[in-house]
Amino acid sequence: MSHLNLQAAEKSASAFEVKPNKSIKQSNFPYWLVGLILLIALTFALVLSGGNFSDAFYFIREGLTITILTTLAAFSIAMVIGLITSLGRISTNVFARNLATFYVELIRGIPVLVLIFFIALVGVPSLIDGLGKLADSLGAWGAPLRGLRNDSIPMQSRAIIALSITFGAYLSETFRAGIQSVPKGQMEAARSQGLSYGQAMRHIILPQAFRNILPAIGNEFISLLKDSSLVSVLAVRDITQLARLYSGRTFQFRESYLTLSVLYLSITLILSSLVKFTEKRSRRDQH
Amino acid sequence: MTNTNAFQNGNVSPIIKLENVSKTFGAIEAIKNINLEVEAGKVYSILGPSGSGKSTLLRCINYLEEPEQGRVFIDGEELCGNQKLLNRLRTKTAMVFQQFNLYPHMNIRENLTIALRIVKKMDKVQANQIAEAQLAKVGILDKADAYPSQLSGGQQQRAAIARALAMEPEIMLFDEPTSALDPEMIKEVLDVMLLLANEGMTMLVVTHEMGFARAASDQIIFMDAGQVLEQANAETFFTASHNTRVKTFLSQIISRS
Ligand SMILES: Nc1ncnc2c1ncn2[C@@H]1O[C@H](COP(=O)(O)OP(=O)(O)OP(=O)(O)O)[C@@H](O)[C@H]1O
Ligand SMILES: [Mg+2]
Repeated sequence: MSHLNLQAAEKSASAFEVKPNKSIKQSNFPYWLVGLILLIALTFALVLSGGNFSDAFYFIREGLTITILTTLAAFSIAMVIGLITSLGRISTNVFARNLATFYVELIRGIPVLVLIFFIALVGVPSLIDGLGKLADSLGAWGAPLRGLRNDSIPMQSRAIIALSITFGAYLSETFRAGIQSVPKGQMEAARSQGLSYGQAMRHIILPQAFRNILPAIGNEFISLLKDSSLVSVLAVRDITQLARLYSGRTFQFRESYLTLSVLYLSITLILSSLVKFTEKRSRRDQH
Repeated sequence: MTNTNAFQNGNVSPIIKLENVSKTFGAIEAIKNINLEVEAGKVYSILGPSGSGKSTLLRCINYLEEPEQGRVFIDGEELCGNQKLLNRLRTKTAMVFQQFNLYPHMNIRENLTIALRIVKKMDKVQANQIAEAQLAKVGILDKADAYPSQLSGGQQQRAAIARALAMEPEIMLFDEPTSALDPEMIKEVLDVMLLLANEGMTMLVVTHEMGFARAASDQIIFMDAGQVLEQANAETFFTASHNTRVKTFLSQIISRS
Protein backbone atom coordinates (compact mmCIF):
# COMPACT_ATOMS: atom_id res chain seq x y z
CA MET A 1 0.00 0.00 0.00
CA SER A 2 2.99 2.23 0.63
CA HIS A 3 3.36 3.55 -2.92
CA LEU A 4 -0.20 4.79 -2.78
CA ASN A 5 0.65 7.30 -0.13
CA LEU A 6 3.62 8.60 -2.05
CA GLN A 7 1.71 11.36 -3.68
CA ALA A 8 0.33 12.41 -0.35
CA ALA A 9 3.81 12.54 1.07
CA GLU A 10 5.06 14.65 -1.83
CA LYS A 11 2.18 17.01 -1.47
CA SER A 12 2.79 17.58 2.21
CA ALA A 13 6.56 17.59 2.02
CA SER A 14 6.80 21.35 1.80
CA ALA A 15 4.76 21.75 4.95
CA PHE A 16 6.91 19.35 6.94
CA GLU A 17 10.18 20.89 5.88
CA VAL A 18 9.46 24.28 7.38
CA LYS A 19 12.26 24.87 9.87
CA PRO A 20 10.96 25.94 13.29
CA ASN A 21 12.11 29.40 14.17
CA LYS A 22 14.21 29.86 17.31
CA SER A 23 11.77 32.23 18.98
CA ILE A 24 9.59 30.45 21.56
CA LYS A 25 6.29 31.57 20.12
CA GLN A 26 7.10 30.29 16.65
CA SER A 27 8.66 27.05 17.84
CA ASN A 28 5.39 26.18 19.56
CA PHE A 29 3.41 26.76 16.41
CA PRO A 30 1.67 23.53 15.28
CA TYR A 31 3.34 23.20 11.87
CA TRP A 32 2.33 19.54 11.81
CA LEU A 33 -1.31 20.58 11.91
CA VAL A 34 -0.83 22.95 9.00
CA GLY A 35 0.78 20.04 7.16
CA LEU A 36 -2.17 17.75 7.81
CA ILE A 37 -4.71 20.39 6.87
CA LEU A 38 -2.78 21.10 3.68
CA LEU A 39 -2.81 17.41 2.84
CA ILE A 40 -6.55 17.26 3.36
CA ALA A 41 -7.13 20.49 1.40
CA LEU A 42 -5.05 19.31 -1.54
CA THR A 43 -6.90 16.02 -1.72
CA PHE A 44 -10.26 17.74 -1.63
CA ALA A 45 -9.02 20.14 -4.30
CA LEU A 46 -8.33 17.10 -6.47
CA VAL A 47 -11.81 15.77 -5.70
CA LEU A 48 -13.48 19.07 -6.57
CA SER A 49 -11.53 19.47 -9.80
CA GLY A 50 -13.50 16.48 -11.11
CA GLY A 51 -12.07 13.48 -12.95
CA ASN A 52 -10.93 10.23 -11.36
CA PHE A 53 -10.59 11.55 -7.82
CA SER A 54 -14.08 12.92 -7.95
CA ASP A 55 -15.54 9.60 -9.10
CA ALA A 56 -13.65 7.69 -6.39
CA PHE A 57 -14.80 10.14 -3.72
CA TYR A 58 -18.47 10.01 -4.62
CA PHE A 59 -18.39 6.22 -4.71
CA ILE A 60 -16.65 5.83 -1.37
CA ARG A 61 -18.71 8.55 0.31
CA GLU A 62 -21.78 6.29 0.17
CA GLY A 63 -20.17 4.18 2.89
CA LEU A 64 -19.94 7.02 5.41
CA THR A 65 -23.39 6.31 6.85
CA ILE A 66 -22.45 2.71 7.60
CA THR A 67 -19.05 3.67 9.01
CA ILE A 68 -20.62 6.24 11.33
CA LEU A 69 -23.60 4.11 12.33
CA THR A 70 -21.38 1.11 13.03
CA THR A 71 -19.08 3.24 15.14
CA LEU A 72 -21.86 4.93 17.10
CA ALA A 73 -23.81 1.73 17.72
CA ALA A 74 -20.75 -0.27 18.74
CA PHE A 75 -19.49 2.54 20.96
CA SER A 76 -22.81 2.91 22.78
CA ILE A 77 -22.98 -0.80 23.52
CA ALA A 78 -19.28 -0.89 24.42
CA MET A 79 -19.80 1.93 26.96
CA VAL A 80 -22.48 -0.12 28.72
CA ILE A 81 -20.38 -3.31 28.63
CA GLY A 82 -17.33 -1.36 29.76
CA LEU A 83 -19.12 0.26 32.69
CA ILE A 84 -20.61 -3.01 33.94
CA THR A 85 -17.29 -4.82 33.49
CA SER A 86 -15.36 -2.14 35.36
CA LEU A 87 -17.79 -2.43 38.28
CA GLY A 88 -17.18 -6.17 38.20
CA ARG A 89 -13.43 -5.70 38.23
CA ILE A 90 -13.49 -3.55 41.37
CA SER A 91 -16.17 -5.68 43.04
CA THR A 92 -15.44 -7.52 46.26
CA ASN A 93 -17.43 -10.46 44.89
CA VAL A 94 -14.88 -13.08 43.85
CA PHE A 95 -17.03 -14.51 41.07
CA ALA A 96 -17.87 -11.12 39.51
CA ARG A 97 -14.28 -9.96 39.72
CA ASN A 98 -12.83 -13.07 38.12
CA LEU A 99 -15.46 -13.21 35.41
CA ALA A 100 -14.79 -9.56 34.50
CA THR A 101 -11.03 -10.04 34.52
CA PHE A 102 -11.34 -13.22 32.42
CA TYR A 103 -13.29 -11.31 29.77
CA VAL A 104 -10.93 -8.33 29.69
CA GLU A 105 -7.73 -10.38 29.52
CA LEU A 106 -9.22 -12.71 26.92
CA ILE A 107 -10.13 -9.85 24.61
CA ARG A 108 -6.93 -7.90 25.15
CA GLY A 109 -4.86 -10.92 24.18
CA ILE A 110 -6.39 -11.31 20.72
CA PRO A 111 -6.01 -8.95 17.73
CA VAL A 112 -9.14 -7.00 16.80
CA LEU A 113 -9.16 -8.44 13.28
CA VAL A 114 -9.11 -12.00 14.61
CA LEU A 115 -11.87 -11.16 17.11
CA ILE A 116 -14.03 -9.82 14.31
CA PHE A 117 -13.60 -13.03 12.31
CA PHE A 118 -14.17 -15.19 15.36
CA ILE A 119 -17.22 -13.44 16.77
CA ALA A 120 -18.95 -12.95 13.42
CA LEU A 121 -18.16 -16.33 11.88
CA VAL A 122 -17.95 -18.61 14.94
CA GLY A 123 -19.46 -16.86 17.96
CA VAL A 124 -22.73 -15.64 16.50
CA PRO A 125 -23.49 -18.85 14.52
CA SER A 126 -22.79 -21.00 17.59
CA LEU A 127 -25.10 -18.82 19.64
CA ILE A 128 -27.86 -19.17 17.05
CA ASP A 129 -27.27 -22.91 17.00
CA GLY A 130 -27.49 -23.07 20.78
CA LEU A 131 -30.67 -21.02 20.86
CA GLY A 132 -32.16 -23.28 18.20
CA LYS A 133 -31.43 -26.36 20.29
CA LEU A 134 -32.84 -24.62 23.32
CA ALA A 135 -36.01 -23.82 21.35
CA ASP A 136 -36.37 -27.49 20.38
CA SER A 137 -35.95 -28.69 23.94
CA LEU A 138 -38.50 -26.16 25.17
CA GLY A 139 -41.16 -27.54 22.85
CA ALA A 140 -44.09 -25.15 22.42
CA TRP A 141 -42.47 -22.56 24.68
CA GLY A 142 -39.51 -22.22 22.33
CA ALA A 143 -41.62 -21.07 19.38
CA PRO A 144 -40.40 -17.45 19.34
CA LEU A 145 -36.79 -18.65 19.09
CA ARG A 146 -37.40 -21.18 16.35
CA GLY A 147 -37.41 -18.62 13.57
CA LEU A 148 -33.72 -17.83 14.15
CA ARG A 149 -31.50 -18.99 11.34
CA ASN A 150 -27.89 -18.32 10.63
CA ASP A 151 -28.77 -15.69 8.05
CA SER A 152 -31.22 -13.84 10.27
CA ILE A 153 -28.40 -11.79 11.79
CA PRO A 154 -26.77 -9.74 9.01
CA MET A 155 -23.03 -9.17 8.82
CA GLN A 156 -23.40 -5.53 9.76
CA SER A 157 -24.99 -6.49 13.09
CA ARG A 158 -22.30 -9.10 13.67
CA ALA A 159 -19.65 -6.47 13.01
CA ILE A 160 -21.28 -4.21 15.59
CA ILE A 161 -21.46 -7.08 18.10
CA ALA A 162 -17.78 -7.89 17.54
CA LEU A 163 -16.62 -4.28 17.91
CA SER A 164 -18.81 -3.80 21.01
CA ILE A 165 -17.37 -6.84 22.72
CA THR A 166 -13.82 -5.78 21.83
CA PHE A 167 -14.10 -2.16 22.86
CA GLY A 168 -16.22 -3.02 25.90
CA ALA A 169 -13.11 -4.70 27.29
CA TYR A 170 -10.89 -1.75 26.40
CA LEU A 171 -13.33 0.80 27.85
CA SER A 172 -13.70 -1.16 31.08
CA GLU A 173 -10.02 -0.50 31.76
CA THR A 174 -10.57 3.20 31.14
CA PHE A 175 -13.58 3.24 33.46
CA ARG A 176 -11.70 1.33 36.13
CA ALA A 177 -8.85 3.83 36.04
CA GLY A 178 -11.40 6.64 36.32
CA ILE A 179 -13.18 5.11 39.30
CA GLN A 180 -9.88 4.50 41.04
CA SER A 181 -8.81 8.09 40.42
CA VAL A 182 -11.57 9.28 42.78
CA PRO A 183 -10.24 9.53 46.37
CA LYS A 184 -11.45 6.84 48.79
CA GLY A 185 -12.88 9.51 51.09
CA GLN A 186 -15.64 10.23 48.58
CA MET A 187 -17.13 6.75 48.89
CA GLU A 188 -16.70 6.88 52.66
CA ALA A 189 -18.46 10.23 52.94
CA ALA A 190 -21.34 8.99 50.80
CA ARG A 191 -21.69 5.68 52.66
CA SER A 192 -21.51 7.43 56.03
CA GLN A 193 -24.48 9.55 54.91
CA GLY A 194 -26.52 6.41 54.37
CA LEU A 195 -26.22 6.09 50.59
CA SER A 196 -25.99 2.50 49.38
CA TYR A 197 -22.94 1.38 47.39
CA GLY A 198 -24.88 1.67 44.15
CA GLN A 199 -26.25 5.12 44.97
CA ALA A 200 -22.80 6.35 45.96
CA MET A 201 -21.37 5.00 42.69
CA ARG A 202 -24.07 6.59 40.58
CA HIS A 203 -24.27 10.02 42.22
CA ILE A 204 -20.82 10.58 43.73
CA ILE A 205 -18.10 8.37 42.21
CA LEU A 206 -19.07 7.89 38.56
CA PRO A 207 -19.71 11.58 37.75
CA GLN A 208 -16.23 12.44 39.02
CA ALA A 209 -14.67 9.41 37.36
CA PHE A 210 -16.37 10.21 34.07
CA ARG A 211 -15.11 13.76 34.12
CA ASN A 212 -11.57 12.57 34.75
CA ILE A 213 -11.59 10.11 31.86
CA LEU A 214 -13.57 12.07 29.29
CA PRO A 215 -10.48 12.64 27.09
CA ALA A 216 -9.54 8.96 27.35
CA ILE A 217 -13.06 7.97 26.33
CA GLY A 218 -12.81 10.34 23.37
CA ASN A 219 -9.59 8.66 22.29
CA GLU A 220 -11.23 5.24 22.53
CA PHE A 221 -13.99 6.53 20.29
CA ILE A 222 -11.41 7.60 17.72
CA SER A 223 -9.72 4.19 17.93
CA LEU A 224 -13.08 2.50 17.41
CA LEU A 225 -13.82 4.68 14.39
CA LYS A 226 -10.53 3.68 12.82
CA ASP A 227 -10.91 0.01 13.72
CA SER A 228 -14.39 0.01 12.21
CA SER A 229 -12.52 -0.19 8.89
CA LEU A 230 -11.79 -3.82 9.79
CA VAL A 231 -15.44 -4.75 9.34
CA SER A 232 -14.79 -4.56 5.61
CA VAL A 233 -13.44 -8.11 5.93
CA LEU A 234 -17.05 -9.14 6.55
CA ALA A 235 -18.07 -7.36 3.32
CA VAL A 236 -19.93 -4.72 5.32
CA ARG A 237 -20.17 -1.78 2.93
CA ASP A 238 -18.36 0.86 4.99
CA ILE A 239 -16.00 3.37 3.36
CA THR A 240 -13.07 0.95 3.46
CA GLN A 241 -15.06 -1.80 1.76
CA LEU A 242 -16.27 0.63 -0.89
CA ALA A 243 -12.70 1.79 -1.53
CA ARG A 244 -11.68 -1.85 -1.95
CA LEU A 245 -14.54 -2.48 -4.34
CA TYR A 246 -13.88 0.68 -6.33
CA SER A 247 -10.15 0.15 -6.66
CA GLY A 248 -10.67 -3.51 -7.57
CA ARG A 249 -13.04 -2.55 -10.31
CA THR A 250 -11.21 0.47 -11.77
CA PHE A 251 -7.61 -0.28 -10.74
CA GLN A 252 -7.40 3.33 -9.51
CA PHE A 253 -5.66 2.38 -6.30
CA ARG A 254 -4.08 5.76 -5.72
CA GLU A 255 -7.35 7.67 -6.09
CA SER A 256 -9.29 5.20 -3.93
CA TYR A 257 -6.93 4.86 -1.03
CA LEU A 258 -5.78 8.47 -0.91
CA THR A 259 -9.42 9.56 -0.76
CA LEU A 260 -10.16 6.89 1.86
CA SER A 261 -7.20 7.85 4.03
CA VAL A 262 -8.02 11.53 3.89
CA LEU A 263 -11.65 10.80 4.79
CA TYR A 264 -10.57 9.00 7.98
CA LEU A 265 -7.96 11.65 8.68
CA SER A 266 -10.45 14.53 8.44
CA ILE A 267 -12.89 12.86 10.81
CA THR A 268 -10.27 11.84 13.37
CA LEU A 269 -8.60 15.25 13.23
CA ILE A 270 -11.88 16.98 14.03
CA LEU A 271 -12.63 14.49 16.80
CA SER A 272 -9.21 14.74 18.39
CA SER A 273 -9.37 18.53 18.47
CA LEU A 274 -12.73 18.15 20.21
CA VAL A 275 -11.08 15.84 22.73
CA LYS A 276 -8.28 18.33 23.31
CA PHE A 277 -10.82 21.09 23.78
CA THR A 278 -12.78 19.17 26.43
CA GLU A 279 -9.49 18.22 28.08
CA LYS A 280 -8.49 21.87 28.38
CA ARG A 281 -11.89 22.90 29.60
CA SER A 282 -12.15 20.20 32.24
CA ARG A 283 -8.68 21.15 33.45
CA ARG A 284 -9.77 24.78 33.64
CA ASP A 285 -12.93 24.31 35.66
CA GLN A 286 -11.65 21.47 37.77
CA HIS A 287 -13.76 21.94 40.87
CA MET B 1 -37.94 5.72 61.73
CA THR B 2 -38.17 6.18 65.48
CA ASN B 3 -38.01 2.71 66.92
CA THR B 4 -39.23 2.17 70.39
CA ASN B 5 -37.15 -0.41 72.10
CA ALA B 6 -36.34 -1.63 75.52
CA PHE B 7 -33.14 0.34 75.67
CA GLN B 8 -34.67 3.76 75.13
CA ASN B 9 -37.22 3.36 77.89
CA GLY B 10 -34.60 3.26 80.60
CA ASN B 11 -33.04 6.57 81.52
CA VAL B 12 -29.39 5.58 81.50
CA SER B 13 -29.45 3.57 78.26
CA PRO B 14 -26.38 4.48 76.18
CA ILE B 15 -26.94 5.89 72.70
CA ILE B 16 -23.81 4.06 71.53
CA LYS B 17 -22.52 0.87 73.05
CA LEU B 18 -19.42 -1.10 72.08
CA GLU B 19 -18.91 -4.61 73.43
CA ASN B 20 -15.48 -6.21 73.09
CA VAL B 21 -14.86 -4.64 69.70
CA SER B 22 -11.64 -5.59 67.90
CA LYS B 23 -10.33 -4.74 64.47
CA THR B 24 -7.12 -5.92 62.83
CA PHE B 25 -5.41 -4.91 59.61
CA GLY B 26 -3.27 -7.86 58.62
CA ALA B 27 -0.93 -8.29 61.55
CA ILE B 28 -1.78 -4.90 63.11
CA GLU B 29 -4.34 -4.89 65.89
CA ALA B 30 -5.79 -1.43 65.40
CA ILE B 31 -8.23 -1.72 68.32
CA LYS B 32 -8.48 -4.52 70.87
CA ASN B 33 -11.45 -5.44 73.00
CA ILE B 34 -12.93 -1.99 73.28
CA ASN B 35 -15.86 -1.54 75.64
CA LEU B 36 -17.51 1.83 75.57
CA GLU B 37 -20.81 3.42 76.45
CA VAL B 38 -21.78 6.83 75.14
CA GLU B 39 -24.54 8.78 76.82
CA ALA B 40 -26.87 10.96 74.79
CA GLY B 41 -26.20 14.70 74.91
CA LYS B 42 -22.61 14.42 76.06
CA VAL B 43 -19.34 15.31 74.40
CA TYR B 44 -16.47 12.82 74.36
CA SER B 45 -12.99 13.70 73.21
CA ILE B 46 -10.81 10.82 72.11
CA LEU B 47 -7.14 11.52 72.68
CA GLY B 48 -4.04 9.45 72.18
CA PRO B 49 -0.82 9.15 70.22
CA SER B 50 -0.73 8.56 66.47
CA GLY B 51 -1.63 5.02 65.47
CA SER B 52 -3.40 4.29 68.74
CA GLY B 53 -6.63 3.36 66.97
CA LYS B 54 -8.70 6.53 67.43
CA SER B 55 -9.84 6.73 63.82
CA THR B 56 -10.51 3.01 63.69
CA LEU B 57 -12.74 3.24 66.75
CA LEU B 58 -14.75 6.06 65.20
CA ARG B 59 -14.99 4.27 61.85
CA CYS B 60 -16.28 1.10 63.51
CA ILE B 61 -19.14 3.12 64.99
CA ASN B 62 -20.43 3.97 61.56
CA TYR B 63 -19.27 0.75 60.00
CA LEU B 64 -16.77 2.25 57.58
CA GLU B 65 -14.67 -0.50 59.15
CA GLU B 66 -16.31 -3.79 59.96
CA PRO B 67 -15.12 -5.05 63.35
CA GLU B 68 -13.82 -8.60 63.38
CA GLN B 69 -15.09 -9.20 66.86
CA GLY B 70 -17.53 -7.66 69.25
CA ARG B 71 -20.80 -5.82 68.79
CA VAL B 72 -21.72 -2.19 68.18
CA PHE B 73 -25.14 -0.86 69.16
CA ILE B 74 -26.68 2.42 68.08
CA ASP B 75 -29.85 3.28 70.01
CA GLY B 76 -29.97 -0.33 71.11
CA GLU B 77 -29.91 -1.72 67.58
CA GLU B 78 -26.92 -3.80 66.58
CA LEU B 79 -24.88 -2.79 63.54
CA CYS B 80 -24.36 -5.70 61.19
CA GLY B 81 -23.84 -6.59 57.54
CA ASN B 82 -27.55 -6.14 56.71
CA GLN B 83 -27.32 -3.27 54.22
CA LYS B 84 -30.81 -1.89 54.82
CA LEU B 85 -30.42 -1.73 58.58
CA LEU B 86 -26.89 -0.42 58.13
CA ASN B 87 -27.94 2.45 55.87
CA ARG B 88 -30.71 3.38 58.30
CA LEU B 89 -28.46 3.29 61.37
CA ARG B 90 -25.83 5.28 59.48
CA THR B 91 -28.25 8.17 59.18
CA LYS B 92 -28.29 8.36 62.98
CA THR B 93 -24.58 9.04 63.05
CA ALA B 94 -22.82 11.62 60.91
CA MET B 95 -19.12 11.71 60.23
CA VAL B 96 -16.88 14.73 59.74
CA PHE B 97 -13.54 13.87 58.16
CA GLN B 98 -10.09 15.37 58.42
CA GLN B 99 -10.01 15.96 54.66
CA PHE B 100 -13.59 17.34 54.56
CA ASN B 101 -14.55 14.95 51.72
CA LEU B 102 -17.01 17.35 50.18
CA TYR B 103 -18.27 16.25 46.76
CA PRO B 104 -16.20 18.40 44.38
CA HIS B 105 -18.56 18.09 41.40
CA MET B 106 -21.48 19.61 43.27
CA ASN B 107 -21.98 23.05 44.69
CA ILE B 108 -22.34 23.44 48.45
CA ARG B 109 -26.13 23.40 48.38
CA GLU B 110 -26.12 20.13 46.41
CA ASN B 111 -23.52 18.71 48.77
CA LEU B 112 -26.01 19.23 51.57
CA THR B 113 -29.14 18.07 49.75
CA ILE B 114 -27.96 14.99 47.85
CA ALA B 115 -28.33 12.55 50.76
CA LEU B 116 -31.55 14.21 51.93
CA ARG B 117 -33.05 13.63 48.51
CA ILE B 118 -31.72 10.11 47.97
CA VAL B 119 -31.74 8.63 51.45
CA LYS B 120 -34.57 10.61 53.04
CA LYS B 121 -36.45 10.97 49.73
CA MET B 122 -37.21 14.64 50.33
CA ASP B 123 -38.38 16.95 47.58
CA LYS B 124 -36.10 19.68 46.34
CA VAL B 125 -37.80 22.57 48.11
CA GLN B 126 -37.77 20.92 51.51
CA ALA B 127 -34.17 19.74 51.13
CA ASN B 128 -33.04 23.22 50.08
CA GLN B 129 -34.73 24.73 53.12
CA ILE B 130 -32.87 22.41 55.46
CA ALA B 131 -29.60 23.00 53.61
CA GLU B 132 -29.92 26.75 53.86
CA ALA B 133 -30.80 26.64 57.54
CA GLN B 134 -27.69 24.56 58.27
CA LEU B 135 -25.45 26.75 56.11
CA ALA B 136 -26.73 29.79 57.98
CA LYS B 137 -25.97 28.05 61.25
CA VAL B 138 -22.31 27.50 60.34
CA GLY B 139 -22.11 30.98 58.83
CA ILE B 140 -21.60 30.25 55.11
CA LEU B 141 -25.05 30.71 53.62
CA ASP B 142 -23.51 33.09 51.09
CA LYS B 143 -21.43 30.17 49.72
CA ALA B 144 -24.42 27.98 48.85
CA ASP B 145 -23.82 28.27 45.11
CA ALA B 146 -20.03 28.02 45.25
CA TYR B 147 -18.09 24.84 44.56
CA PRO B 148 -15.95 23.32 47.33
CA SER B 149 -12.71 24.29 45.57
CA GLN B 150 -13.76 27.94 45.76
CA LEU B 151 -13.90 27.84 49.58
CA SER B 152 -11.14 28.19 52.15
CA GLY B 153 -10.26 25.14 54.24
CA GLY B 154 -12.18 26.44 57.22
CA GLN B 155 -15.24 27.15 55.09
CA GLN B 156 -15.03 23.70 53.54
CA GLN B 157 -14.95 22.03 56.93
CA ARG B 158 -17.88 24.14 58.11
CA ALA B 159 -19.74 23.10 54.96
CA ALA B 160 -18.91 19.47 55.77
CA ILE B 161 -20.30 19.94 59.27
CA ALA B 162 -23.43 21.53 57.83
CA ARG B 163 -23.75 18.57 55.44
CA ALA B 164 -23.56 16.21 58.41
CA LEU B 165 -26.10 18.25 60.39
CA ALA B 166 -28.54 18.37 57.49
CA MET B 167 -29.21 14.66 58.00
CA GLU B 168 -30.38 15.47 61.55
CA PRO B 169 -28.15 12.88 63.16
CA GLU B 170 -28.36 11.89 66.79
CA ILE B 171 -24.60 11.56 67.05
CA MET B 172 -21.78 13.52 65.42
CA LEU B 173 -18.44 11.81 64.87
CA PHE B 174 -15.44 14.06 64.22
CA ASP B 175 -12.11 12.62 63.08
CA GLU B 176 -9.46 15.31 63.58
CA PRO B 177 -11.66 17.99 61.99
CA THR B 178 -9.05 20.73 62.31
CA SER B 179 -5.85 18.82 61.56
CA ALA B 180 -5.79 19.69 57.86
CA LEU B 181 -6.46 23.38 58.47
CA ASP B 182 -4.16 26.37 58.49
CA PRO B 183 -3.84 27.68 62.08
CA GLU B 184 -5.90 30.81 61.43
CA MET B 185 -8.89 28.71 60.33
CA ILE B 186 -8.98 26.32 63.24
CA LYS B 187 -10.97 28.63 65.50
CA GLU B 188 -13.91 29.13 63.14
CA VAL B 189 -14.40 25.34 62.99
CA LEU B 190 -13.96 24.81 66.74
CA ASP B 191 -16.51 27.58 67.36
CA VAL B 192 -19.09 25.72 65.33
CA MET B 193 -18.33 22.54 67.27
CA LEU B 194 -18.68 24.38 70.58
CA LEU B 195 -22.03 25.70 69.41
CA LEU B 196 -23.19 22.15 68.74
CA ALA B 197 -21.89 20.95 72.09
CA ASN B 198 -23.82 23.69 73.85
CA GLU B 199 -26.97 22.68 72.00
CA GLY B 200 -26.71 19.24 73.54
CA MET B 201 -25.52 17.28 70.49
CA THR B 202 -23.93 13.93 71.29
CA MET B 203 -20.39 14.19 69.98
CA LEU B 204 -17.36 11.95 69.69
CA VAL B 205 -14.34 13.99 68.74
CA VAL B 206 -10.89 12.70 67.86
CA THR B 207 -8.70 15.75 68.28
CA HIS B 208 -5.29 17.09 69.11
CA GLU B 209 -6.79 20.41 70.24
CA MET B 210 -6.33 20.15 73.99
CA GLY B 211 -7.97 23.51 74.64
CA PHE B 212 -11.14 22.34 72.92
CA ALA B 213 -11.05 18.94 74.60
CA ARG B 214 -10.78 20.52 78.01
CA ALA B 215 -13.37 23.23 77.45
CA ALA B 216 -16.02 21.28 75.57
CA SER B 217 -15.82 17.65 76.71
CA ASP B 218 -17.78 15.92 79.39
CA GLN B 219 -15.53 12.91 79.12
CA ILE B 220 -12.04 12.24 77.82
CA ILE B 221 -11.24 8.84 76.36
CA PHE B 222 -7.53 8.20 76.22
CA MET B 223 -6.35 5.51 73.82
CA ASP B 224 -3.01 3.84 73.48
CA ALA B 225 -2.02 0.83 71.36
CA GLY B 226 -5.60 0.01 70.41
CA GLN B 227 -7.01 0.10 73.92
CA VAL B 228 -8.82 2.60 76.10
CA LEU B 229 -6.31 3.32 78.85
CA GLU B 230 -8.33 5.86 80.74
CA GLN B 231 -11.75 7.43 80.70
CA ALA B 232 -12.44 10.36 82.98
CA ASN B 233 -14.13 13.71 83.06
CA ALA B 234 -12.11 16.47 81.46
CA GLU B 235 -10.98 18.25 84.62
CA THR B 236 -9.80 15.04 86.31
CA PHE B 237 -8.04 13.89 83.18
CA PHE B 238 -6.03 17.04 82.64
CA THR B 239 -5.17 17.78 86.26
CA ALA B 240 -5.30 14.60 88.28
CA SER B 241 -4.50 11.61 86.09
CA HIS B 242 -2.07 9.16 87.69
CA ASN B 243 -1.52 7.15 84.56
CA THR B 244 2.09 7.55 83.42
CA ARG B 245 1.18 7.13 79.74
CA VAL B 246 -1.34 9.92 80.06
CA LYS B 247 1.20 12.13 81.79
CA THR B 248 3.83 11.57 79.10
CA PHE B 249 1.27 12.21 76.38
CA LEU B 250 0.12 15.46 77.98
CA SER B 251 3.66 16.71 78.59
CA GLN B 252 4.57 15.98 74.95
CA ILE B 253 1.50 17.81 73.69
CA ILE B 254 2.22 20.81 75.89
CA SER B 255 5.90 20.97 74.95
CA ARG B 256 4.88 20.79 71.25
CA SER B 257 2.51 23.73 71.40
N1 LIG C 1 -6.85 0.68 56.19
C1 LIG C 1 -5.80 0.30 56.94
N2 LIG C 1 -4.94 -0.64 56.49
C2 LIG C 1 -3.90 -1.06 57.23
N3 LIG C 1 -3.62 -0.59 58.46
C3 LIG C 1 -4.42 0.36 58.96
C4 LIG C 1 -5.55 0.86 58.23
N4 LIG C 1 -6.16 1.79 58.99
C5 LIG C 1 -5.44 1.86 60.12
N5 LIG C 1 -4.40 1.01 60.13
C6 LIG C 1 -3.44 0.81 61.21
O1 LIG C 1 -4.16 0.63 62.41
C7 LIG C 1 -3.54 1.33 63.46
C8 LIG C 1 -4.50 2.33 64.07
O2 LIG C 1 -4.79 3.32 63.09
P1 LIG C 1 -5.73 4.57 63.35
O3 LIG C 1 -5.81 5.30 62.05
O4 LIG C 1 -6.99 4.11 63.95
O5 LIG C 1 -4.89 5.40 64.40
P2 LIG C 1 -5.13 6.89 64.89
O6 LIG C 1 -5.10 6.83 66.35
O7 LIG C 1 -6.31 7.46 64.24
O8 LIG C 1 -3.81 7.62 64.39
P3 LIG C 1 -3.63 9.12 63.86
O9 LIG C 1 -3.59 10.01 65.07
O10 LIG C 1 -2.31 9.08 63.17
O11 LIG C 1 -4.75 9.42 62.94
C9 LIG C 1 -2.31 1.98 62.88
O12 LIG C 1 -1.18 1.18 63.18
C10 LIG C 1 -2.55 2.01 61.41
O13 LIG C 1 -1.35 1.90 60.71
MG1 LIG D 1 -6.62 8.99 62.80
